[in-house]
Amino acid sequence: MRVGATVTEAVLDELRRIVGKEHVHTEIEKLMVYSFDSTFQNHLPEVLVKPHTVEETAAVVKAAAQYGIPLTVRGAGTCLSGGPVALEGGILMEMTAFKRIIEINAAEGYAVVEPGVVTNELIAAAEEKGLFYPPDPSSSGMSTVGGNVAECAGGGRGVKYGVTRDYVLELQLILPDGQCITVGNKVDGLTGWLDLPMLFTGSEGTLAIITQITVRLLPKPQAIRTALVQYAQLDAAAHTVSAIIGAGVVPTTIEIMDQMTLRAVENFLQIGLDTSKAAFVLLEVDGEPQEVELQLEQVIQICKENGAVEIQVAHDERERAALWKARKSTSGACGKINPTKIGEDIAVPPANIPKMIQAVKEIAEKYRLNMVVFGHAGDGNLHPNIMTDKRNTEEMERVNQAIDELFARALALGGTLSGEHGIGFMKAAYVLQELGRDGYLAQKSVKDALDPQGFLNPGKIFIEKELELQHE
Amino acid sequence: MTTKIDANKRKHWERELSKCIRCGTCRQFCPIHQVLDDESYTARGKLYLVDQLLHSDFLLSDGFVEMISKCVMCKACAANCPSGVNTYQIFMEMRQEIVKERGLSFTKQSIFRALHWRKFFDFGLSCGAWFQRLIFKPAPDGPGQVARVPLPMAGFNQRRIIPNLPKRHLKQLVPLESKAQGKELYRVGFFTGCMLNYVYPQIGQDLIRVLNLHGVTVITPREQHCCGTPLFTSGEVEIARDLIHNNLTAFGGLDIDYVITACGSGGLAWKEEFAKVLGESHPDYGLALELGRKTKDISEFLIMIGLNLEELKPLQQKVTYHDSCHLNRGQKIHEEPRQILRALAGENYVEMKKADACCGSGGSFNLKYYELSRQINQKKTGYIAESGADVVAVGCPACLMHIQDGLEQDGIQVEVKHIVELLAESYGLHEQQKEERS
Repeated sequence: MRVGATVTEAVLDELRRIVGKEHVHTEIEKLMVYSFDSTFQNHLPEVLVKPHTVEETAAVVKAAAQYGIPLTVRGAGTCLSGGPVALEGGILMEMTAFKRIIEINAAEGYAVVEPGVVTNELIAAAEEKGLFYPPDPSSSGMSTVGGNVAECAGGGRGVKYGVTRDYVLELQLILPDGQCITVGNKVDGLTGWLDLPMLFTGSEGTLAIITQITVRLLPKPQAIRTALVQYAQLDAAAHTVSAIIGAGVVPTTIEIMDQMTLRAVENFLQIGLDTSKAAFVLLEVDGEPQEVELQLEQVIQICKENGAVEIQVAHDERERAALWKARKSTSGACGKINPTKIGEDIAVPPANIPKMIQAVKEIAEKYRLNMVVFGHAGDGNLHPNIMTDKRNTEEMERVNQAIDELFARALALGGTLSGEHGIGFMKAAYVLQELGRDGYLAQKSVKDALDPQGFLNPGKIFIEKELELQHE
Repeated sequence: MTTKIDANKRKHWERELSKCIRCGTCRQFCPIHQVLDDESYTARGKLYLVDQLLHSDFLLSDGFVEMISKCVMCKACAANCPSGVNTYQIFMEMRQEIVKERGLSFTKQSIFRALHWRKFFDFGLSCGAWFQRLIFKPAPDGPGQVARVPLPMAGFNQRRIIPNLPKRHLKQLVPLESKAQGKELYRVGFFTGCMLNYVYPQIGQDLIRVLNLHGVTVITPREQHCCGTPLFTSGEVEIARDLIHNNLTAFGGLDIDYVITACGSGGLAWKEEFAKVLGESHPDYGLALELGRKTKDISEFLIMIGLNLEELKPLQQKVTYHDSCHLNRGQKIHEEPRQILRALAGENYVEMKKADACCGSGGSFNLKYYELSRQINQKKTGYIAESGADVVAVGCPACLMHIQDGLEQDGIQVEVKHIVELLAESYGLHEQQKEERS
């Protein structure tokens, strides 16, 4: 059956029977507010459905499959690549009713949660038991764990602790045929077989629906030291990042901010940042107290060798919060330069950070755009942000060209299209550039095996028609 | 609809709307979203609809009006928005557009009409005190009362506990001028607001005594009136402007250094919103700005002039503090009340979890959506219970009423008091009053 059938009255009746009529919405206002995520794309679903149990979820999936209706899953809708946008209409399924933290197992170091749990709630629940869940995307105050797994979210601690993928042990999933399966296990995530948890992590709702998640928890690090380092040249800051990684030191965090970001932040917070400096680097190390002091010394030494002009080290939690405040406010502060902020997300090998930052500057100049750069540079992840005005169509055209070039330059430097935001449909058009034709087709064959109808989150990642690529 | 919105407002809205990057930070701060888990009530959702109203053929539908009215106006989304979108202003102005197009709901219409004629309203509430026994019965346990019959029209259902209405209003109980004790250091005008005047006159009396003790002469103008917040936040600007004019006239000619308020919304109205609602072209605009600059919340004022610490008797009970939305995010007063409470209670002061989360009252919001405002309140009463405090102090009588109702219904044995009540108690002003009576 061709996917893309419309939602008829019969389908609605079936959905109402499954989840109850109060959880099935077709009112236009409701569909409108559910037509977007944190990107600027809007697509109306035909119906919004909110299941409350695994059985209901499975039944919705079966119904969608049976009628050949596109099914898109949504958590908090804070995705930055359009993942939960119902691109082809159909059913939008909201998973936020699944909000239970089922178990925090301190002895064995894992947590079992439902997909609608807000990331910060998991982090806090783990902390209460002296444990640590490291992935902390900037949206962790509202994003859901289900969404984090679906998009393989990253965060500021990625340099040392990796991303969501590194913590997923076990997933309960509803497959496109409505079967409920569990992949992985609570011990080691099932190594030595096909690594299925890893396959589904980051699959963006195109392969299955996540209904329960077990993540690994770590012991909470005993000590954390934070330093804010200022540079007279952006290039020097960029070289510091590569040098630290090159020296084999593994800080928890290396965040970089350029001058324009600094100015925006200072404008917004007025906390006395020196905006004459070309760049700031925020560094954090954690671990055993002695080890941490040693690491801090090493890192500071490298900063000095690379031309740091000022180094501030936080001595207590209050000072640490003050140093972090600037970085945490970047996104919002930059929004004040121009009304519309288009945040991009790329990653390159850390050694190429200086070249990539140079490339961003060149692109900004070429297309006459206001661009700032900041990001979790330690793992090569940069967020070039374009400050524009979506009401200005001429400029938006230049913005699109700049983004094309940005991706091309990142790939040329051995990088990747997504540091942590996912592909969705925002970047689907660039997938071929990264994977090549054969690489793409290999991924597509996995999709076809699991979802031959192609009704799960259509229009995301797999868009061969648009790529003018015929699947053989 | 789109053609009816005036060009200036449209331009202002468009600028604000284009700042929203849809990051969804509002999801974690909106008390309505926290309870209903529905994107329809988040700021980013509603802003998108306002945007569509301006730029597409989307019309002012019933569903949209419901989304815009189901908001406590707590300012949490505005205060926490990383892009600094002034959501509060847009939603307030959106409500004005709705009233222009559709008029007010019947309940609000009746109440607001009554407000327009102060004497009538005075009379109505005095009668209320006498007749309330017919309609309400004492609550099963504790103070207050519950309705004998459901009164949906007035926003009271049978569960709701409202305080006993006093027989005499504050303005009938206190003289026009209450002289400072000792040397007069300041002269202030006291804006009572409806809640202190009609429902909690004892708090107003305490405020005057505490100020007198600090060498402050307090003038309580007779002609003052409702601040208009329930009206202009509901979109009814015309009557609100009349009320504001009345208030500005009542205080305008007085020889005073400051205007003192003791409620979150009343103070915010004087400080900012009077001028905003009147608009620059209104003849009272200048006076609104001038008196706005002179307005101080009672905690802010006491800290500013120096709290009398010598006669302060330490409070033995464990006390915590609830931030009123319009006092905290509106007037930016959060440290001063805590300074006072720490001076009063020392080690017995405890900070509760999420002290700045809305109590769910939302002024007239809880008349229309009582059950929802109770659900929001339940989180608050939970945090209060968790804090282990004996008393929860507030700086706003509307929060006081709503939290008291919530604690009663949830069976939590914690007292709710306005900060000035605690101060009056500590200064021994209550005993003094008893002596005076005997």
